[in-house]
Formats: sequence, structure tokens, C-alpha cells
Amino acid sequence: MFTTLYFKEWREKALIFTFELSILAVLLGAQFFLQQKKDIREGLIYAVLLLFFPFAALILGAAGFESENRQEAWAYLFSRPVSRVVVWLAKLAALASMFTVLWIIFLAAWAAFPAVRELASGPRVLLEYVAESGFPWWSVGLSAFLLIVAFSLSLLRARQFNLLFVALLLGLVFPAVAWGLIISKVGGFMAWLAPTKALRTLLISLVLMTLAFVGASLLTLVRSDHSQPRKQTRSFAGSLVLFLVLALGGTVATALFIPVPGDHYLSLVTSSGDNAIYATERGILTYDASSGRIRWLAKTRYPEYLLSSPANGRIAYSTLDIKGRRDITHEVWTVGMDGRDRRLAVGRGSPGPWDPARSNITGLMIRPDGRSIAFLTRAASSRSGGALPALWTVNVDGTGLEQRPLDALLADGTTENRWLFLTAWGRTANVLLILKRHSPQPGQSQFGLWAYDLDRRTLRKFEDGVLPASWRGSMSPREDLLAIKLSSGAGLGLPAKALAFIDLATMKRTAIVEGTDLVLSRVQWDPAGERLLFQVKRPAPEGRADYAIAIYSLAAGKVVAEESFAASEREAWMMWTAWMPDGRSILARDAESRSLKILDLALRETGRFDLPARIKEPGQPAVVGDQVLVVDGKTDSLWRLDLSTKRWKSIY
Amino acid sequence: MSELLRIKGLSKSFGRKPVLKDFDLTVESGRVYGLLGCNGEGKTTLARILMGVIPADGGDVFYKGQRITYGQSAYKRDFGYVPEDPFFYEDMTVRALLDFNGRFYPKWDRKRAAADLERFALDPKARIGTLSRGQKLKLGLAVALAAAPEFLILDDPTSGLDVPTRQDFLRDVIRELAASGTTVLFATHLVHELERIVERLLVLSGGRLILDEDFDKVKATHQASLEDIFVRLVAGA
Repeated sequence: MFTTLYFKEWREKALIFTFELSILAVLLGAQFFLQQKKDIREGLIYAVLLLFFPFAALILGAAGFESENRQEAWAYLFSRPVSRVVVWLAKLAALASMFTVLWIIFLAAWAAFPAVRELASGPRVLLEYVAESGFPWWSVGLSAFLLIVAFSLSLLRARQFNLLFVALLLGLVFPAVAWGLIISKVGGFMAWLAPTKALRTLLISLVLMTLAFVGASLLTLVRSDHSQPRKQTRSFAGSLVLFLVLALGGTVATALFIPVPGDHYLSLVTSSGDNAIYATERGILTYDASSGRIRWLAKTRYPEYLLSSPANGRIAYSTLDIKGRRDITHEVWTVGMDGRDRRLAVGRGSPGPWDPARSNITGLMIRPDGRSIAFLTRAASSRSGGALPALWTVNVDGTGLEQRPLDALLADGTTENRWLFLTAWGRTANVLLILKRHSPQPGQSQFGLWAYDLDRRTLRKFEDGVLPASWRGSMSPREDLLAIKLSSGAGLGLPAKALAFIDLATMKRTAIVEGTDLVLSRVQWDPAGERLLFQVKRPAPEGRADYAIAIYSLAAGKVVAEESFAASEREAWMMWTAWMPDGRSILARDAESRSLKILDLALRETGRFDLPARIKEPGQPAVVGDQVLVVDGKTDSLWRLDLSTKRWKSIY
Repeated sequence: MSELLRIKGLSKSFGRKPVLKDFDLTVESGRVYGLLGCNGEGKTTLARILMGVIPADGGDVFYKGQRITYGQSAYKRDFGYVPEDPFFYEDMTVRALLDFNGRFYPKWDRKRAAADLERFALDPKARIGTLSRGQKLKLGLAVALAAAPEFLILDDPTSGLDVPTRQDFLRDVIRELAASGTTVLFATHLVHELERIVERLLVLSGGRLILDEDFDKVKATHQASLEDIFVRLVAGA
């Protein structure tokens, strides 16, 4: 019966289909006759995607129940021994197959001719940026939605023109409203804060709205009285509203509860003593090993990655205050490590010379006594580093906001591809170390370390070609020594030529590793600030390299232990190390054996803990108290290993 | 005779206007029922509800003891239906319509369909849109008969037929059907049509049956023409 009805529909709609097929053939055929006129060809492709397919779908859909309504044959059809669901399915299947044939023809042209492919990837009407070249699925989605809307409405006994008009209106208004919500504050500015999620949400909303129309149409056909048009229309409208509410709920639930890659993140910021601090997409949390609890230090809707290490029981972090797409202000907050005493230091209402238009915060550091904050800004419009950066200081209560001159640092005249990083804040001397990076050409980097004396308001270059030894562990626990490395002229994360440390009180430099060895960016001070753990790469016979873990002792003034651990750079990068809180042993994550090893000060293995299979992508371990924390990068979950019971537990 | 169809408490309104109210009827197999009623009294509504074209507001319909609900379709294989207004797909040809219908009915009699086309002088190649109302009625009848139904509902079909066809139709077709054991429900407002063929008379007025008796008994009781009996009953109701 389905087949009978299916082919009846094909015969009935053959004229419309042939007409549409002819138009498509003309539009695509013109691509070959007008090869020299790219503008016209482009216009024709736009016409195919933006006009032809949506309108072809609309006309096909509106023809769904047209013959039954126009010829009053509905009573005859419904009195046949065939279920209405089969009637409905056969009609939709016939229309969908015609629609598919049209798209297959376009797909064939798209696949066969690069010129069509190039032009078809151009129009991005829903996006405000140029997405990657690809098949125009947006047009398929939009036209399929219009087909369903028109088909659903065709059930109602209305004039064909009214039906087409209403179908066009609803078919365009609903996706537009969905996109409007996604791009606005209601949708959390998803379209520009998380474009991947926004596109997925739009697609899901379209699918759910399509199902809403499908459901309303089918339910109306099966249950309502076709002889009473008004009653039937009311029944359809009631069902549609109900299903659209469900579709809206489904879209919101999907957006809220089903993440896209990169939607969630869990990133270790720092750890010391019993606490480890993590940045998440919802805010900042700390894990306290003594209580075994996670505590939120700050929950914020639009967190940024900038977060300082704790200083005197406080941390500083930056967030975004978004009131509209063109009304965004960066804010700087501080909060106590117990989650209390949250204070806004800089924000929308901060006094001059603070200018929200230049409020793009690019670096953040809290003074060791926890009383003030230094931060770097750059003009919000700059993406290449071309705009002039500015250094600011402010007290944690928001008073004393002051812009510090950087004239000497910026005097070389470089404007493009230049970045500044706050590196360290000396405890004894009120000196802020600023790293300047300049990339005159891709793949090349020039580094310079500058010292800003905050009391004397003087800025001087400390040394060229120097950068912090690592991003997290350069400053000693007593905050008097800074581990640095000498740049090999390439990127920040690449091996450096030498390792040294600077005494921040005297600014005197002491070498640790020099010569042919290269130092990797895995440098960590022990909890007492007496030893430095690092990884080194050495030339080996036959052009190979040897990778070793080494410990430098301040007291001995030399490397006191060294152990090879990898034969390839990839393997070396997979090795993460961390000091145990007692400073007498080291935790090392061995990716090869998927285990955590305990090494003594001679770097001999004294214990081993296998990682659970459920941790898919183990990240850098952090040691807090007698516990080890490991982030699973695959699921953004946090795992705890209790060293005394040797048990693993997922805690976030 | 066994019970073929039982209708219990059937009701249907259009807007605020009730058409069928608490309608009860039992149909026995193999008999010819004549359903009389004035225009707008609900004869077509009853036929459409029985054929599952429109839903009832309330009540139950049982076919061979099984309750049938709106949306069911299997029972319709045993039902034939000739509507008052024969709206077919105008773009189809006569033959295409017969082929189309033939796929739905397991007992479809192709030879019977061909014979009836010949009998009604219908051109198989003719487009339905070009047929007159009478020709369409004949085509509807041919379709209904080819399906070899157990229960045939004729919803005032003779009003559009020419006199010879009407006489032929009434004399031959319905008697033939009755002889073959097909149950017929003949709804009409043309009273005299029924006199020659009806076995049991049903009179519909105000949404209810006001008469449900064997025709012979009705005639014996009232000693009048059917038209007079009908007028008297409707006036009394």
C-alpha cells in the first residue's frame, strides 16, 4: 500500500518536479556557458542555494495534500483501507525523494566541478566569519526545514497562496529567531563566544523544530476531523505550540548538558601545600587535601584563563562583564583562598584613566603580600599585538589604580607581533619582571627580560635572550629566586640553550646548565626552595638525543642527580614530574607504562601506581598533602590518588 | 441472521450543532437497510463515521463484535462506500483509479470491474475530471462493487443518476447484492427509491433513529405509502 501511494504521489507531483529540475539544470548549466563571468556564476550559485532550493522545497512541501484538498478527494482517500500514517509517510517519502534527487544533482555538480565547489563554499549568511570550504549543508538544512514546514501546513485546508506565504514566513522566522537567541544575551552570546556550540545548537533546534512540525502534522492527520477546517487548524496549532515548547526545552537542555569539545575545561593553575587550584569554564575551584573537598573560589559566567598564583592567601583573576556584543569590559577580581572576601579591583565603574575601550587584559599578577595587583592591557581590537600595551597597578580594594609608563620597553619602535608577559614579582624588592617577546618572522622569537621598579617607577632592561624557565615553577617558594633559561631563538616551549636563576634582591645570575645541553621547560623548585628539578636533552651518538631528569642543589652548587628517562622528544614531553610535599621524593608520570612513579633524590624508582583505565588522557599530576591529583583531559574530570590507601577516586 | 454491525451511543456535532445524538443501531448481515432522513439529518455524517473519514465525538461502533476506532483501516477491506459526492482524483484516468483501488482490497475482482465499466459505458482511458457527476457515481459504484464488500454503504447515490441507470441500478444491482449476501445500507432522502428494495426501514430525525423496523411490518401497520409514513413520522418527531 505504501508503494502504491508513494508512486501515486510521484505521478501527481511529476510536473512540479520536472519544472524544478529544469530550473536547476538551467542554473547549473549556466556555470559552463558563462565561464568567463565569475560574478554572474557566483550570483547564480547564490541563487541556487539561497533561492532555488528553499523555494523548490517550499513548493514541493506545499503540494503535499494539495490534490486531496483541491479536488475534495480527502474523503475518498481516507475511506480506503489504508492507515493515515501510511498515507502521510508515503506523501512525505515521495516529496523527500524528489528533494533528494535535486540535491544529488547539485552534489554531483559540486563534486565534479571545482568552480562550483569554490563558489558554493562562499555564502555564509548565518555566520559573521568565513568558515572552512565545504558542502553548503546550511542550505540543505534550511530547505529541508522549509519542505517539512510547508508539507505540515499543506494538511490544512487553506488557499495555496496563503499556505505558501505562511510556510515561508514560519520556515524563515523560526530559524532566524533561534539564531537570534543564540547570538544574543539570552543564548549567552554563544554564537561568538562558542561558535562550534552555536552551530550545533542551531542544527539541533532546526531538527527539533522540524520534528515539532512533523509531530503536529501527523497527530492532526491521525486524530482531527478533516471536514472541519477551523477545528483542524486549531488542533494543529495547539499540537505545534506544545511540540515547539518541547523543542525549545530540548535545545536548551542539549546546550546546557551536552558539551562540545572545548566546552568544558579543567586546567591546573598551581598547587602548594594542601591546595591545588584549577580553572574551569564555570569559574575557579580549589581542592583541599586535608578536608578532601572541592571549594569554589569564584563562579563566573564568562571566566578568563588569567589567574594568579596565591599570594598571602589571595588570588587574582580576570573575567568578562558582557552586556552586549559591543559592550564588553574585562574585570579583575581577588578572592581569599577560603572563597571569602571576593573583591572587584577593576571593572566597569573604575575611575580614570581606566578606559573600558582599552580594557583587553593580557597579563595578571598579584603582589607577594597580596595587597595589590599588576596587569597588562592591550587595545581590544588588536589581534596581532600591534597596539600599544599598557601596565597597570591597583590595590585589591580597587583604589590606587595607576597606569605605569612603559616607554623604555617600547622605545625600539616595534609594533607588530610583540607581546608582553608578567613574569615575576619580587618579595624583597618591589620589582616586577616583564618578558617581552617579538616575532619579526614566523618561527622566530626574540626575548628580553625587563625589570620595573614599582617604588622608584623606573624600567630597565635586565637581559636580552632570557625567559622564565617554565610558566608555573620559575619562582622559588620563598619568592626570592627566579629560574630562567636562555632562548634558542624559537618558540616559548622549545628547548633552551642554558638554565640559570636570578636572585631578585641582587639581580645576580647563577648558571646551572650551559654548553651543548638543551633544557626543556619542565623546571620546578622543591617545596623548600633548595633544589631545582628539570629535564635536559643531550646529544647522543649517531645523531640521536638522550633525555634525562636532573636535580640541582643550591647548597652543593651543582647537579646532584641525573637519570635518563626517554629516547625521543615525544616520549620526553609525555613525562610530567612534581615534587612530593616533603621535598624528599618526586612523582613522575610515565606515559609509556601509564603509571605514576615515585623517585627518590637519587632519581631511583621506589614505588609505582598504575593509572586507572578510566583516565583516558592523564595530564600533569599535582601533589597536595598525601594525595595526587590527575586531570583526565578527555573527560575534563579530576582524579585523586590517596597515597596511603593507594585508591583512586573521581572527585570532579 | 448474525449481527454484522452494532452502533452504540454515537454522537457527532459540527460546531455547536449536534448532528447525531446518542445514536444506536444494529445491522444484521445479508439484509438491505434503507435509511431515510431529511437533508442535514446526519445520513452522510453516519456514513463517514462508519468509513473512518471523520471521527465521532462519542459512542462505539462494533464490526463483527470487534470495536472499531478512528484510524483503524483493516476493517474497511470488507466495506464498500459510494458517497453522495463522488470526489476522486480528477487527474487520474478511470483505469488508473481502478488499478489504484485494486491494491487496497484483497478480494478485488478485476473482471467485475471491467464488466461494470462496460455496463455503465465508462471509457477506461477517460480522465476522471472530464466525467459528468452521474458518470463519476457509476465509477464509484464500479469501484465499490469490484471490492466485493460484505457491507456496502450507499450514501444517496441515485440522486445524480439518470432514470434508466437508476432503475437498472435499483432493480439489478441491489437485488444482486442482496442475493449474494452483501449487507446494504442505503441512505437517501428520496423516499420512493426505497420501496422496491428495502427490507428494514430506518428513519433518522433529530440525530436519532425514530424508526427501526422491518419494512413489511411498517407497511402493514401504517397502511400508507412510504412517503406518507415518512412525513408522518418526521412530523411526529
